[in-house]
Amino acid sequence: MFLPAGSQDEIGQTVDNRSKAYEIFRQVMILRNYKQISTPVVEFADTFTNEYAGMNLQNMLKWFNREGEIEVLRPDWTTAIARALVKQHPSELKWSYQGSVFRRDKDGIESRQAGIEIVHTPVFLGEGESLLTAVQYLKELNIADYLIELGHTGIFDELTAPLQLSDQELDQLREAMHDKRRDVVFTIVNGKASKEQADEITAMVDAFGSFDVIEEYEVKWKDNPRLLEIIKHLKKLATLLTERGVKDVSVDLGRVKNLPYYCGTMFRGYLKETGATCFSGGRYDKLYEQFDESISAVGLAFDVDVLADHLHIEESYERICIIAEEASHAYAEELRHTFTNAIVDIQYTDKDKEKFDRVFKVIKENDEYKVVEQ
Amino acid sequence: MKPTIALTKGRVEKQFLKFFASLSYDVEPLINKGRKLRVETDDFLFVFAKGVDVTTYVEHGIADLGIVGEDILAEFQPDVYNLFPLPFGECRMALAKEKGKEWPEGKRRIASKYTNITKEYFKQKGESVEIFKLEGSVELAPILGLADGIVDIVETGTTLKENGLVVTDEFMHFSARCIANRSSLKIKRNELAKVIEAFQRGLTVK
Repeated sequence: MFLPAGSQDEIGQTVDNRSKAYEIFRQVMILRNYKQISTPVVEFADTFTNEYAGMNLQNMLKWFNREGEIEVLRPDWTTAIARALVKQHPSELKWSYQGSVFRRDKDGIESRQAGIEIVHTPVFLGEGESLLTAVQYLKELNIADYLIELGHTGIFDELTAPLQLSDQELDQLREAMHDKRRDVVFTIVNGKASKEQADEITAMVDAFGSFDVIEEYEVKWKDNPRLLEIIKHLKKLATLLTERGVKDVSVDLGRVKNLPYYCGTMFRGYLKETGATCFSGGRYDKLYEQFDESISAVGLAFDVDVLADHLHIEESYERICIIAEEASHAYAEELRHTFTNAIVDIQYTDKDKEKFDRVFKVIKENDEYKVVEQ
Repeated sequence: MKPTIALTKGRVEKQFLKFFASLSYDVEPLINKGRKLRVETDDFLFVFAKGVDVTTYVEHGIADLGIVGEDILAEFQPDVYNLFPLPFGECRMALAKEKGKEWPEGKRRIASKYTNITKEYFKQKGESVEIFKLEGSVELAPILGLADGIVDIVETGTTLKENGLVVTDEFMHFSARCIANRSSLKIKRNELAKVIEAFQRGLTVK
């Protein structure tokens, strides 16, 4: 029997690591006062493809139901949770979730995520809490070598506002910025504005780095109140992270949103050893506009598969084998519970004894069971 | 760890080495590499691969930078930073048919290595066509009757001419480009900055 491309069976360490990553996540969430939420794995496609969510139907696993409507396997948590949260009382502010998403545009059809959504919360508090939750979770996973990058959708919006680009031109420019394709960025802007404006926007392609970039643009944008407000906001978040011991914080001022619902700060975490993205997220108040709600909303999702791959779990349990037989199985089971904090297995033969640190055998003497260490 | 650069084998490789040498990098080990597909220099690790494989290595972070034709990027749309054009490997995408033959009145049959580009080209024109995917020598398809025309890259036009084909439309202009892995550009910024700046200086000089 074969599996479809992108699907796979997993055994042993991979599954152990993932379970561990989920366990630690749940523990961190409890201690940081998050409430768990889960949404169904099957949803209507429109939840994710409407103009507010803006996801691409082509990348979803989908089918027609009996009424002819398109249903999909959940491709994204944030959108599904927004749908669910509008029915919740606004006093609940912090939500956490864990489970799979299914998309065809990623390696493997199924990927596992764990994440948070914070609603009805002041901007800096919500964003700071999101980032510091990420910092604590990575610390609990013993992951220290990572980079957190901040961006902001408002920079692109502010710089392109005077250009009066059509929606199509705006999409082309956003795509060129996303790919850091400087020649195309320059060409699009130069056709609509002065060379100075084209140079200014093209420079955004290279505007990534640490506090030196923040300070450079604090000076450059000193006469633009909106951009100055954004760069100061990013600086405050970056400072919060460095004060909490994050060694590598950077900004990418040329980063653009890849989904229409992002509207403000964007976050991304990279594992420096492999370059893999271990979390991403940001502000998405706009997502709630589809429900006629004006809500402050921010969150991020961890890629649990990436984190699990990176985990090195030291197994510290002693491994014990009890050799018994059908008649002595109950006695052996009783004996098992006397070994606390050890991995104990009951077997009927000693052929696997090399796999254990200690081996005991249940024997019968004078109609009584006793145990002998081998 | 030295940055890894994936380089497209063949014509792009030769043109790149000339360009790289003009930037005062030592290209001797790269020229005299024999059949080796992995060569370490003082500053970089180079890997040599087919164009589409260069994009795969860069997308998955095996290579930090890649040198590849823009036709490959347009066709396969890899998830990489597509930084800037390089001053070589210039060509254009063209629609061609047999000289002296008219297009059929019905649905046109088009052969190409670049099926995604072809599909998008005719979509923009609002025309439905049958597309045949070929891996090479696309010029044969109209001659042998598989297709009414072809979509392919053209440098000088000599191959088309020698096979009795004429260009009826040119719609994309390409060159070689420098691409980067999305994480590497951020994480290895300092290591990559020097060579990226050198490439850009080379463009200015041109």
